[in-house]
Amino acid sequence: MRLLVNNLNIPIKFVLPLIFFGGIIAGLGAYIFYMSNAHSYLSDKPSACVNCHIMTPYYQTWFHNSHAKWTNCNDCHVPHNNVFSKYYFKAKDGLLHSTVFTFRREPLAIRARHESSNVIMNNCIRCHMHLNTSLVKTGMLTFTEAREGKGKACWDCHTGVAHGKQSSIASTPNAFSTPLPESPVPDWLKKAMSN
Amino acid sequence: MFFVILTVVFLLGLLAASITERRAEIASVFNNRKVEIPELESRSEIWGVNYPREFETWKKTRNMDFKSKHNGNVRIDVLEDRPAMVVLWAGYAFAMEYEAARGHGYAIDDIRNTLRTGSPTTPETNIQPNTCWTCKSPDVPRRMHETGIANFYSGKWSSLGDEIVNPIGCADCHDPGTMSLTITRPGLIEAFERQEHDIKNATAQEIRTLACAQCHVEYYFKGEDKYLTFPWDKGTTVEQIEEYYDQAGHVDWIHKLSKAPMLKAQHPDYEIFIVGPHAKRGLSCADCHMPYKVDGGIKYSDHQITSPLKNISSTCQTCHRDSEENLRQYVYEYQDKALEIRDRIETELAKAHITAKYAWDKGAGENQMKQALQLIRQAQWRWDFVAASHGATFHAPVESQRILAHSLDRTLQAQLALQKVLFSLNVKENVPMPDISTKAKAQHYIGLDMKTLIEKKEAFKKDVIPGWIKTAKEKNRLVDRI
Repeated sequence: MRLLVNNLNIPIKFVLPLIFFGGIIAGLGAYIFYMSNAHSYLSDKPSACVNCHIMTPYYQTWFHNSHAKWTNCNDCHVPHNNVFSKYYFKAKDGLLHSTVFTFRREPLAIRARHESSNVIMNNCIRCHMHLNTSLVKTGMLTFTEAREGKGKACWDCHTGVAHGKQSSIASTPNAFSTPLPESPVPDWLKKAMSN
Repeated sequence: MFFVILTVVFLLGLLAASITERRAEIASVFNNRKVEIPELESRSEIWGVNYPREFETWKKTRNMDFKSKHNGNVRIDVLEDRPAMVVLWAGYAFAMEYEAARGHGYAIDDIRNTLRTGSPTTPETNIQPNTCWTCKSPDVPRRMHETGIANFYSGKWSSLGDEIVNPIGCADCHDPGTMSLTITRPGLIEAFERQEHDIKNATAQEIRTLACAQCHVEYYFKGEDKYLTFPWDKGTTVEQIEEYYDQAGHVDWIHKLSKAPMLKAQHPDYEIFIVGPHAKRGLSCADCHMPYKVDGGIKYSDHQITSPLKNISSTCQTCHRDSEENLRQYVYEYQDKALEIRDRIETELAKAHITAKYAWDKGAGENQMKQALQLIRQAQWRWDFVAASHGATFHAPVESQRILAHSLDRTLQAQLALQKVLFSLNVKENVPMPDISTKAKAQHYIGLDMKTLIEKKEAFKKDVIPGWIKTAKEKNRLVDRI
């Protein structure tokens, strides 16, 4: 410590305040990290996306739709061409989401941005490649090209995929995030069974 | 320097407070309810105050407005349609009355009113134990909590008439605090434990099937205490369960005509579903029986649990891109083809029972009959496993056909064995077959005095049941309206 102070040439009278305020900042940072469940964002688990409760309707509508059996959120919502663009996009999108959420600027119906739509449509095409490039040609364009009038986006026709037709952050009032309790057996029954 | 740090800490504090606040909003969703639902609240009307949409659709389980080609949510007198079944169940309560199941909302009405529970005006005249109530009501977990599990099972059926009064509802599957799915019946948990599985490891998707598997399974009343037990220790296929019963020496009843040691399948819905194509692709019961429903801008799962054919557009068509008519016809095709074999089994198996009786009458000995009676037991167990399972021929068409094929095979083997017995007794003539072309004729043939049974039941309904309801209301176990 002394060596560090000497090397950085910090006047001795600043050391104590620096430790003090640095501690406060580090502590608050740790608190924020803990409260926001930050480590979970490195995974592909859909439960990370419902850390923000306004995502619950989108989680639940996905869960009840045909894609739930095969895909998680990241399969569609982040790029998969390489690991750098995946995490770059994820970080960028995540920061935008957290900013909007923190300042309470979320719209009642969350819609994908143009950039995000491009990613999603590429992912539709990535999985359904055989179907939409050899059988039909609907997968031979990007979302941007579709909006320029050169064709249609996937969801222009497949309107119910993958969250159903309605979109609103108030649409599933009785669905609470990831619904997994530690044990589905209530305490009274555990007690009755051990008797 | 000081002011810079002050600003940074201030902003960081704001951010931390904001995150905490927004996390707390999740808790407020739970807290902002109109009523607090206590643990083991069995009256669904109380839950309905907080969850009106789910409650309103649950109430529709009392609707009788849908009939597909073979079933639906209406009353169907199966014995009237298939009088041979009366003969198959001779000596057992099912020969008196057997109707296709209606919705959950009728669970209490139907168990009170069926002839199978008898007319117990006194405790001694009971023909069934309390175990029969187990799957009928959210009052069951409440009573199990109050009296203990084994005590609950061991009493006589009529002793809980004024306690078990609410039909299958919210508390059967939901935790009152978080609305998460729960398992409230010990039978399933115990069966998992005996197989060294831990129900805690089930995923969210599996729980959406296991909540149903608390009741929609094969089970039996074990021993003198009538402890409800799932026979899954060796596995859940028809053969593995049979092996379990054989080893346990379990016999549901001795057949009145053939004297065969019979098994009665309950409703092995889960056991058949899990070997079918939909389960293999990760679907749960709720995916098709409780589809998402849109009401204005609100989405919720439909609690009118019924045949998915009632609502193909929000069930099958969630995944299958085919017309409603085609999808419906696929289902009917599976069902019709299985019914072809089922019809054959019922005709031939009834003949086998009647032939066995004839052999006894002609002086056959127990040792001579043993093999044929075992074959009858095995044949009828297999037939019943499919016939009693709700939706078996759709849930797992190939498995259903396999089981029915083995049933028909054993039925004909039993007939052959009985012919040998008859030959050895020097009986050369054809076995005379009674007229069992209607339910009434078949019941008369097996010696049921239906007139007396029905009269007694009517008197029971008039004299006893209103008293149960009155007591339940006085003790606040029942909300006045439904």
